[in-house]
Amino acid sequence: MSSTVGIELEEQYHDVEQQREAAKLGMWTFLLTELLLFSGLFVTALVLRVMHPDSVTAVALHLKFWIGATNTAILIVSSFIMSVAIELSRLGRQRPMAWCMLGTAAFGVLFLMLKGYEYYRDYVEHMTPFLSFRRYELVGDPASRLFTNLYFITTGLHAVHLIIGITLMLVMAWLASREGFLQKHQNRIEITGLYWHFIDLIWMIVFPTLYLLNR
Amino acid sequence: MIQRYLPHYPSQLWPWAASSMAVEIDRIFVMWCIVLMFLVVPVFVFMTYCAVKYRAGRPADRSQRESRNMTIEMSWMIAPFLISLVFFFWAGDIYLRQQNPPPNAMVITALGRQWMWKFQHPDGPSEINDLHVPAGRPVRIDIRSQDVVHSLYIPALRQQEEAVPGRTTSMWFKADTPGAYRLFCSEFCGADHALMAGTLYVLSPADYQKWLKTAGGGQSIASTGKRLFEAYGCSGCHGPSGTVRAPDLAGLYGRVVPLQDGSTVVANDAYIHDSIMQPKRQIAAGYKPIMPSFAGAMSESDVTALVAYIKSLRHGREQSP
Amino acid sequence: MSDAALRDPRIPAPVIDRPEDYLHVEQTLSSWFFTTDHKRIGILYLVSITGFFVIGAIAAGIVRLALVVPDGSILSNEVYNRMFTLHGVIMVWFFLVPSIPNTLGNFLLPLMIGAKDLAFPKINLLSWYVFVTASLFTLFVLLWGGVDTGWTFYTPLSTQYANGYVIAAVLGIIVVGYSSILTGLNFIVTVHKMRAPGMTWFRMPLFVWSLYATSLILVLATPVLTIALVLVFVDRAFGLGVFNPEQGGDPVLFQHLFWFYSHPVVYVMVLPGMGVMSELVTAYAYKKIFGYKFIAFSSLAIAVIGFFVWGHHMFYNGITQYSALTFSLMSFIVAVPSAIKVYNWAATIHKGQIRLDTPMLYAMGWIGLFVIGGVTGLMLASTALDGHVHDTYFVVAHFHYIMVGATVVAFLGGIHYWWPKMTGRLYSEPWGRVSALLMFIGFNMTFFPQYILGYMGMPRRYAVYPESYQVLNVLSSAGATILAAAYLFPMIYLVWSLWYGEKAGDNPWHAKGLEWTTTSPPPKHNFRKMPIVDFDPYDYSNEPPEE
Repeated sequence: MSSTVGIELEEQYHDVEQQREAAKLGMWTFLLTELLLFSGLFVTALVLRVMHPDSVTAVALHLKFWIGATNTAILIVSSFIMSVAIELSRLGRQRPMAWCMLGTAAFGVLFLMLKGYEYYRDYVEHMTPFLSFRRYELVGDPASRLFTNLYFITTGLHAVHLIIGITLMLVMAWLASREGFLQKHQNRIEITGLYWHFIDLIWMIVFPTLYLLNR
Repeated sequence: MIQRYLPHYPSQLWPWAASSMAVEIDRIFVMWCIVLMFLVVPVFVFMTYCAVKYRAGRPADRSQRESRNMTIEMSWMIAPFLISLVFFFWAGDIYLRQQNPPPNAMVITALGRQWMWKFQHPDGPSEINDLHVPAGRPVRIDIRSQDVVHSLYIPALRQQEEAVPGRTTSMWFKADTPGAYRLFCSEFCGADHALMAGTLYVLSPADYQKWLKTAGGGQSIASTGKRLFEAYGCSGCHGPSGTVRAPDLAGLYGRVVPLQDGSTVVANDAYIHDSIMQPKRQIAAGYKPIMPSFAGAMSESDVTALVAYIKSLRHGREQSP
Repeated sequence: MSDAALRDPRIPAPVIDRPEDYLHVEQTLSSWFFTTDHKRIGILYLVSITGFFVIGAIAAGIVRLALVVPDGSILSNEVYNRMFTLHGVIMVWFFLVPSIPNTLGNFLLPLMIGAKDLAFPKINLLSWYVFVTASLFTLFVLLWGGVDTGWTFYTPLSTQYANGYVIAAVLGIIVVGYSSILTGLNFIVTVHKMRAPGMTWFRMPLFVWSLYATSLILVLATPVLTIALVLVFVDRAFGLGVFNPEQGGDPVLFQHLFWFYSHPVVYVMVLPGMGVMSELVTAYAYKKIFGYKFIAFSSLAIAVIGFFVWGHHMFYNGITQYSALTFSLMSFIVAVPSAIKVYNWAATIHKGQIRLDTPMLYAMGWIGLFVIGGVTGLMLASTALDGHVHDTYFVVAHFHYIMVGATVVAFLGGIHYWWPKMTGRLYSEPWGRVSALLMFIGFNMTFFPQYILGYMGMPRRYAVYPESYQVLNVLSSAGATILAAAYLFPMIYLVWSLWYGEKAGDNPWHAKGLEWTTTSPPPKHNFRKMPIVDFDPYDYSNEPPEE
């Protein structure tokens, strides 16, 4: 059942409101840095597209569009579930909140499974220029190889962030289901939710930049 | 003739200028230095003046101390900026002229690689690290790199351009003053970056033509050929201490050679080439046909280098390349 | 917040027989290495970056020693190349970037805005551990196997042709970048959310404004360096060919990504120094700052415009004429806010009550050296002129005038000014002045000849050079020995003062600013009662400072 919800005041803050706002601003600032991190890759992919449109289009046809699209839907659903978890945390409904967080993580894992399958299909199709023992057999020119490599780097970096997010979600779900958590650390759920939404947002940029723009 | 242009690198505080554009750049720099003086000196003077006149405790007129003044702020923001913009336009104008070579420029290609420059004249000689150009003619250098990023820098021209692998960059100039000038690599490129240097020789048009015809023709190719002459063992028979009797090659080029079948032939490029690759085709009179063929063992460019070397052997004495 | 007379109940009551300042309240090792007190973390950073400064300076000394002879007979080319790489990597990432923000900034930011600590004290400690771990790792890599690509890691030299531990070095630098990001994040949130009641944005000291602008850059630019180095890593480790033209890559892409970070990072190095300057000039002219809002907005303007000039490092590698001219124009524009600050400080000094103590000597030296460094920067921004001096000693002289002549000088000026606040002790003023003057002389003797060498055409990163450049090189190296001595003196007399210096009162300089209203050193929670701000900054009267 619900119990009172709040946060434990840390000593450098005057009041709880200040602490809440500081935590949120802190997470948003961190997410901004993550956006800048991925921006380098997005800009590189876009410049490559502008400079070598034919090569990029040719190899982009080999990207597994439907897996990418399904994954996009999966992440959107996971973010929705996370929003529900946050709302539940505000209401103090601890058990449903923890289940929702597990659900979010589960969808994240589903994403990774599909991604892994997609990588397997790429491997089968000889679309892995960085593996010296498996000859790249798609469009032969250098720009298309570079685009393929960029696809792996970008989706790989995103997957790393997703793994971190899932881990965070599982740990947070475990901690949050303990007695008294929501009285003291409710805003941690909100902050974790921000990070999760952001992983989703990054994928929202990855998918069009790599899969859609180049068809 | 080249001796007239011995490299001279005096200890001085201003670099030589080899082109009128270099002089233009010097002018901008001197102007900037003057502006800098006008900025730095008053600042130091003003600070010293304040430090003395307004020393703590020293009586002075400290009335009407402002802490904001929009007029002053706008004026010292806008006026220096406008003055500085003069330099933006001035330098930009020179830069645009530097970026747009005239269509009649002589094109030389430059290849940078760890750790040397190779210059190729149009339909002509190639050079390693040194570059001969005629004075008074626009020259465009198209620059490529074989490995990492290098940069072709000639201080006397006040110009440089990077050699980037995967693309061709270019730089053009018109050198006016004959002389010998330093040429450097200015983009760090590995262990021997500092050794990737040479000399730009700016020659009067007449001297340049002479250079092209004579030593220029294969100056460094000849030295490559000399190396190959030893490497392939030619000197074993054709050298001074050869054990086998073989024709002396000094002064061969251009000479009339009597052949075994009684005919004669002028020893030109083709003859020397065939003597290496198909020695049994035209055997020199009085010699046994024992020279081995190098076809299949020697690349065409090696043969070209050997031909160049043999051409340079005149009248019994080697002409040093 | 009424009842100002009541102690804040969350602050523990002092133990009677032990002083309650932050240095003495607990003195175990673990109380230092697990501290979350921003003041102690500032001291931890101070010790760390000083150590790196010494190592980087020794590397510079070795480079200058090698350059005394033109033929490279003192060091082999490979060792020379590793030495200047070591010098650059250490000085940029392990000294200059953290110098003022992580030492003076950490210590003073909460004090100056009337807060008890930063917004995230544990993240502050984490940033120190990330810094120390990554920097020691990178240092080890640089000394053990060496990296000889220069601190700029240009491709494809770094990705394909260089021998040495490039992968390990870039991994270390990637991790150290997170220390910058965490610090910047902490400062931004602190300035937004932790100001004392009544401390509006325009009542904040200008040092805080400069730290805020610096933090914006740290947070936005550092991730781009991260991705640039990640790409170098995957290119070199997995042959992905991002920068290899034969595989469709482009070496110039690296330069764009690298300089997109590395140009703003030089403003990270200079902005905090400018903030220190505002504090020193007001305190030692004993006068309100001239043009507060202009200086505050200039800090932001420098941070923003600084993101749009990176291409001026690339004028001559095949970028288009239009790009080059645009970057040149932006570089001219970015000089404007810097110039505004210099004029405003000069106007502040006018009609002040000037004391020529050590920090003021450093401040005055700063102004002169910064103007020279800044205008030579405009010379470099002039496209055609850069065609001559790019990649020569002219550039080396320019950036050392800013990084050493401005940043290090501001750092030393600030350390001296706030030394009593941080340590509770006064340093020896005569030694301070002598060192400041010696530094000014040594610095100019080291670096001014390099402007001449550069214009004469001596390229940079040269282990050997034509003999005619030798006289100026020897002069520069001689200056370096004087500079080294000038750096050694403060290290000695400042440490000496910790035990034998005269004890300082709360406000030995009679300066304005919240940090001077608390004890020297401050208590653990900064203020005995939290301040309420109803006054403007720098509200000095027309009277001379009390003696």
